[in-house]
Amino acid sequence: MDELNSFETYFKDVLRRTLSPPWRKKEVVIQLDAIGVQSVPIILFSISFAAVVTIMEYAYHMKLVIQTANMVPGFAALLILRELGCVITALLLASKVGAGISAEIGLMRITEQIEALRLLQIDPIRLLVVPRVLATILSAMALTVLANGACVFFSMLMSISNLSYSMGTYFSAMNRFASFKDLILSLIKAAVFGFVIPIVSCYYGLSCEDGAQGVGRATTLAVVTNAISIIVLDFILTWLFSHLY
Amino acid sequence: MGFLNELGRILIFVGKILKTIKSKSINCPDLSRQIYRVTIQAISITAFSGFFVGAIMSIQFNSQLKEFGALTVLGGLATSATLRELGPLLIAFMLSGKIGAYTSAELGTMRVTEQIDAMRCLGTDPIEHLVVPRFIAIVLSSFILLLVGLLSSIIGGAALGKIVGGLSAQEYFNAIPHFVTGWSIALGLFKCLSFGILLATVCTYKGYFTQGGARGVGRSVISTALITMVGIVVVDWFTSYLARSLEFLWTS
Repeated sequence: MDELNSFETYFKDVLRRTLSPPWRKKEVVIQLDAIGVQSVPIILFSISFAAVVTIMEYAYHMKLVIQTANMVPGFAALLILRELGCVITALLLASKVGAGISAEIGLMRITEQIEALRLLQIDPIRLLVVPRVLATILSAMALTVLANGACVFFSMLMSISNLSYSMGTYFSAMNRFASFKDLILSLIKAAVFGFVIPIVSCYYGLSCEDGAQGVGRATTLAVVTNAISIIVLDFILTWLFSHLY
Repeated sequence: MGFLNELGRILIFVGKILKTIKSKSINCPDLSRQIYRVTIQAISITAFSGFFVGAIMSIQFNSQLKEFGALTVLGGLATSATLRELGPLLIAFMLSGKIGAYTSAELGTMRVTEQIDAMRCLGTDPIEHLVVPRFIAIVLSSFILLLVGLLSSIIGGAALGKIVGGLSAQEYFNAIPHFVTGWSIALGLFKCLSFGILLATVCTYKGYFTQGGARGVGRSVISTALITMVGIVVVDWFTSYLARSLEFLWTS
């Protein structure tokens, strides 16, 4: 109960400061680089593999259900846009960025840098947490667009080489199912995930205990909590959005 | 080059582990304690997230199949897709945080507080007593955990099939045998096993070779989480590819 209470006050603090200026713009830019730009290669790499597997699996299943590979691009695009693009991006961010944030802030905490900030009358939440929250929301959305693009591109290559589609037929098949609305909804999902990851990670970083063990535990807890919250939130959002499709 | 160096070091480390497993007798109480600990630690989380993964897949396929009035195949399609592909993938992502990050933090802490060096001074082999039990335990228990996760994903899929699609559990489960072949189950199990081996290798390696105090522990946890995730995606692709070629050879 104690942890819950302190998380509640922490969450309210963060929310209040995130919504009200002044924001530290320079910090936000630094974090955008650290969180967004430096995650691009790894996310593109992983998502392209995921795209190839998706097409392979879809082709297999479509052959079972309707005996042809006609609908593969359409269905695969739906799964990519609605689910894979944002969830895999978010899970990768949760481990790369989430673990990074909680280790960094945890180290600050055990080397008493947070207390030093308080002594200097600098609000650690405004300096450390809020820029990370803003930067992660923005980067998660941008990375999701990139990931969706890469995923569609690689699934197109895969369909051309394995299922004898051409570029034109692939896109027209995709167009029949996927719409712009799917992309917008996946951006909303990405924004929610991008909001949760830094809040959870900063919380575990700020409540880190002393020593190497404390940092290890904070980082582990951050990764696990992030992954669970992403899966549960994804379920809730998917359910909500399933009424909108 | 850095990547190749790292890969080589990992292979040498695995070679050492395998040699130790082969030549030394394994301390059974130690091993079973590790298996018990890892499994108990992660089982509720795995079952929980497995349920939601199945549920998500069920909702997604429901909205796709509804347009064609083909809801009767929902159970088979969602279960087959979850077993073959997304279930192992997402649950392994989950475990890479829970087990992988935990183990590398634990071994890393031992390393930076010089407990591993102390063991070596006392004439015991840290690889034999710390790394090997953890390695075997992680391979075995992540296999068990992934199985639990997959089972609960089937339950989650059926529950949401009922809520969203209005299919009774009977109808949902009836469709499963038409789609889920022995190959699919074998592929799912093989994926689970490969993810377990990957996870065990990366987290023991990263934890064992931690350097540089609390900062170093943080760093090895981050790189464990990251390498396992990227590795899982690549292994996932590779096993799917392999299975498809094998299946093709088998049936033709």
